[in-house]
Amino acid sequence: METVDRASLLLSWQSAAFATGAADRPTAEAGIAAAYTAAGLPVPERFVWVGSPAAGAVAAAALGGHADALRAAGLDVPDLPPAGASVRDAVRTRPWEEVRAQAHAALGTDGWPRAWADTGALLWDPVNSVVTRVRAAIGGLAEPVETVLRAATLDAVLGQQDAPWLAQFDALGLLEPLRGLAGAARSAGWWWPYENLVIVAERPVELHRDEPGRLHRGDGPAVAWPDGFALHAWRGMPIPADFVRTLDGLTPERIRAEENAELRRVMLEIYGYDRYLAESNATPLHRDETGVLWRIDLPDDEPVVMVEVVNSTPEPDGTSRTYYLRVPPATRTAREGVAWTFGVDETDYRPQAQT
Amino acid sequence: MYRQGDILIVPVAEDAVPASVRALPPAARDGRGRMVLALGEATGHAHALTAPGELRRDPNPLAPDHLWLPSGGRLAHEEHAAISLPKGWYRVIRQREYVPGAVRVVAD
Repeated sequence: METVDRASLLLSWQSAAFATGAADRPTAEAGIAAAYTAAGLPVPERFVWVGSPAAGAVAAAALGGHADALRAAGLDVPDLPPAGASVRDAVRTRPWEEVRAQAHAALGTDGWPRAWADTGALLWDPVNSVVTRVRAAIGGLAEPVETVLRAATLDAVLGQQDAPWLAQFDALGLLEPLRGLAGAARSAGWWWPYENLVIVAERPVELHRDEPGRLHRGDGPAVAWPDGFALHAWRGMPIPADFVRTLDGLTPERIRAEENAELRRVMLEIYGYDRYLAESNATPLHRDETGVLWRIDLPDDEPVVMVEVVNSTPEPDGTSRTYYLRVPPATRTAREGVAWTFGVDETDYRPQAQT
Repeated sequence: MYRQGDILIVPVAEDAVPASVRALPPAARDGRGRMVLALGEATGHAHALTAPGELRRDPNPLAPDHLWLPSGGRLAHEEHAAISLPKGWYRVIRQREYVPGAVRVVAD
């Protein structure tokens, strides 16, 4: 286990989780077939490919007997042959539980959380935040059938977004019993297994994240699938599809007038903290050799308090990049703010070298 | 203490290293034989050392990791000047940012 190159393993599962581009359909179908075989089930007769997890959820909800309600809500419902019962438990849940129990028994109560922290947990938050957003957006497709659609998203095998668990089992050398599921995860999006057929969703055509890994894009959808289903986000925060475009000619007054606190934060970030500070004639709260402390007061929200920090290594053009980090609103000095970002005491924060 | 971008390296006296840290298995090195203290998600840029030593990762992702350098080392990053670290034990702290309702870790 110690010889596993964990960083490479993590990177490869991370790229599977956020992979874009057409599914590798033969590999995905072979993986899914192997998962059926491993569960002792006959290989399904048909693979029905759909253009997004949203289309997959609609198809799954239709198979669940909700076709008329979905049509009445204005959704496109595909005609599918009889699928039989869902076999998700046999194909995915049970083998996965068995491997997890095996890992748990081998590692013990201390070893299991340690192993998870070292591998699966590192992928869990960024991947799960995307899954949560996708589920919410599918539920939001049509209000009268929201519950039905949300339930259908919970019946999916997450394909590429099963990566955190698969990375965990891979690092422990326990991936063999889940080989089929792993093959499907590396090749396709979400899928819904039934006795006679499988609904399989394509992967996104594009997916954009910021440095900390949150969905983020200003000039289009942060994630989009080939059938047009898409999510818009700014640094992880959901925004309406046309929100950024409506911000042309944004002014500090308009930012202050926005009543939704989340959207106001997005507006502030897009406008730029530095520009907002300059144009609202802000004066620094405090300044010392660690940086500058700024504060922006907002109606009906806590104030934005930020330290402006200088990156000590100059850029190739000789300038030094400054960046803003938000700190707790009660912060009083720049040093206290910078020290807080590293979780150390203000009096203890004395770096002898900075680059 | 030493700061390289969003990482703070704080020396720790040998006898102040908790027994629970010493009991942790050393984290595996990457394909280039480096101890990777932190990896930028999008750029793949890393705060990393090739020196002899061990990195002990805390199971709690928000707790600092520990680094042991028996003969010192050179901390490198694609976008920051390298820093020479004397031999000894260190706590490795990642910079975080205040978010109303949550705290998020910075990655450069």
